[in-house]
Amino acid sequence: MAFHLSVFVENQPGKLERITRVLADAGLNIRAFSMASAGEFGVARVLVSDPERGFAALKDAKFTVSRRRILVALIDDRPGALHDLLVTLASHRVNVEDCYGFVLEGGRQAALVFEVEKVPEAEAALAGTGIRLVPDDGIYRL
Amino acid sequence: MYWDRAAETMDRRDLEHLQLGRLNATLQRAAHAPYYRDRHGARGVGPLSSLADLADLPFTTKADLRDHFPYGFLAVPLDDVVRLHSSSGTTGNPTVIYHTRADIEAWGDLLARCLYMAGVRKHDVFQNMMGYGLFTGGIGFHYGAERLGALTIPIGPGNSKRQLWFMQQFRTSVVHILPSYALRLATFFAETGIEPRRDLALRLAFVGAEPHTEETRRRIEEVWGIKVYNSYGLSEMCGPGVAFECPEQHGMHLWEDHFIPEVIDPDTGRVLPEGEWGELVLTSLARAATPLVRYRTRDLTRIVAGTCACGRTHRRIDRIRGRSDDMLIINGVNLFPMQVERTLMRVPAIGSNYLIEVHEESFMDRLHIKVELRQDAFEGTLAELEHLAARVTDELKAELGVTPVVKLLEAGSLPQGEGKAVRVVDLRQPGGKGA
Repeated sequence: MAFHLSVFVENQPGKLERITRVLADAGLNIRAFSMASAGEFGVARVLVSDPERGFAALKDAKFTVSRRRILVALIDDRPGALHDLLVTLASHRVNVEDCYGFVLEGGRQAALVFEVEKVPEAEAALAGTGIRLVPDDGIYRL
Repeated sequence: MYWDRAAETMDRRDLEHLQLGRLNATLQRAAHAPYYRDRHGARGVGPLSSLADLADLPFTTKADLRDHFPYGFLAVPLDDVVRLHSSSGTTGNPTVIYHTRADIEAWGDLLARCLYMAGVRKHDVFQNMMGYGLFTGGIGFHYGAERLGALTIPIGPGNSKRQLWFMQQFRTSVVHILPSYALRLATFFAETGIEPRRDLALRLAFVGAEPHTEETRRRIEEVWGIKVYNSYGLSEMCGPGVAFECPEQHGMHLWEDHFIPEVIDPDTGRVLPEGEWGELVLTSLARAATPLVRYRTRDLTRIVAGTCACGRTHRRIDRIRGRSDDMLIINGVNLFPMQVERTLMRVPAIGSNYLIEVHEESFMDRLHIKVELRQDAFEGTLAELEHLAARVTDELKAELGVTPVVKLLEAGSLPQGEGKAVRVVDLRQPGGKGA
């Protein structure tokens, strides 16, 4: 299973920077970073090269952090590609709880990171659609 | 000038004689209450031969009232009880005070005495903006104003637009109001272009139920263009009406035909010489259902020395300067930090460290409660955090009776006190109404 890290942050200057410093000091590469905020606090999502080490490093630095299971899909970097993916999931009644993406080196493909409650259903829905799910051990090497 | 000239201007010697007689009668009555029967013996204590002997009797505390809920302090058969009032606090048992019909009438008469002293007359229109219900503040003044014969509007607090409408339609001349609300209402007047001196018929305001400074009172007098009088009371003694300012506005006459005041050192319990600051201790002299002997009010004040130019012989107490315990008064609602703690302990995802900040926002007190999210309780979603903040807010509101602003913090971000942790930071301005 693949994970990203979910970190509780107070919405104040300098709070996010503390997270990135801890990860940099631990020699971990950040593949993607996103932030969801609800006014005075929020949750930062961090996809790092080694989630277990990242988790331990943040925990040691007293962060409130948890590991969340993710799926990563590779889609073509073209208009409508994300739409196709979401339509496929929706038609199988798979709800996307969290999602962000980044374009891969070379610019021909994009990686889409998403959290769903129904992982087997999501995997089944995407099988045979041409949308490729990145195997778990490949995610951190993207 | 006097509602009850004989009582209010009674010679000190006669007054003390009356007190001693009433004190001994109170001690006899108190012996019918299980609590005092256990403490003083089945035949009660006394009769005391002098008022000074009172200092030898044990104190009664709020904790005693709570621990002997519901009927431990009831000194008459339930058949004779016509009403109860109770504290809003839900920390354990509430403190419940019972009233016979005679208690209610005496209380109303005492309030009429207070209002008359400040200048209220039959022709006045009295708009009572204090809360009604279990809280004694609103209902106590209501009975007093009716007893006096003023036209009484039991409007209760809030809804400034409606308050103003009633003031204009009925030419309200007297109001009873929280000092914080008086200032907020003044802002509302300014916003709506109302100049109280020109557009309203107001003459007098009574403020109370929350500590406030002399500066606040003068400010209300200035912006409303009226006289503002201080009042003091507590539900354990009846409610408002225990002590009240006369037109001299120099201390509040404490009605010594109904109560015996003592001022003690809150740490040692020793009675302090007249004029020294300390905790006010009261003994009721005319209460039937719930007589209380040497009740520790936790309010800090002093006896104002000297006689008053108004001619009343009852001694005055000074403006309440604070509390000898950690009780907070938020917009007139009493609460203790322990209530916050108890509530937070019921929420597993919240750590045990917390901080209460009292802010002042547009003349209203605002309670900010900072709590820490427990590291191991976090599953990683924003939704759970929002849900948690909402749940903590709801539970605190249910417990405290005021809606706090809950701030969710990272674990370890609140200062960890060595020894006694600082749990409360009062950021209300000194010139405001901070206790």
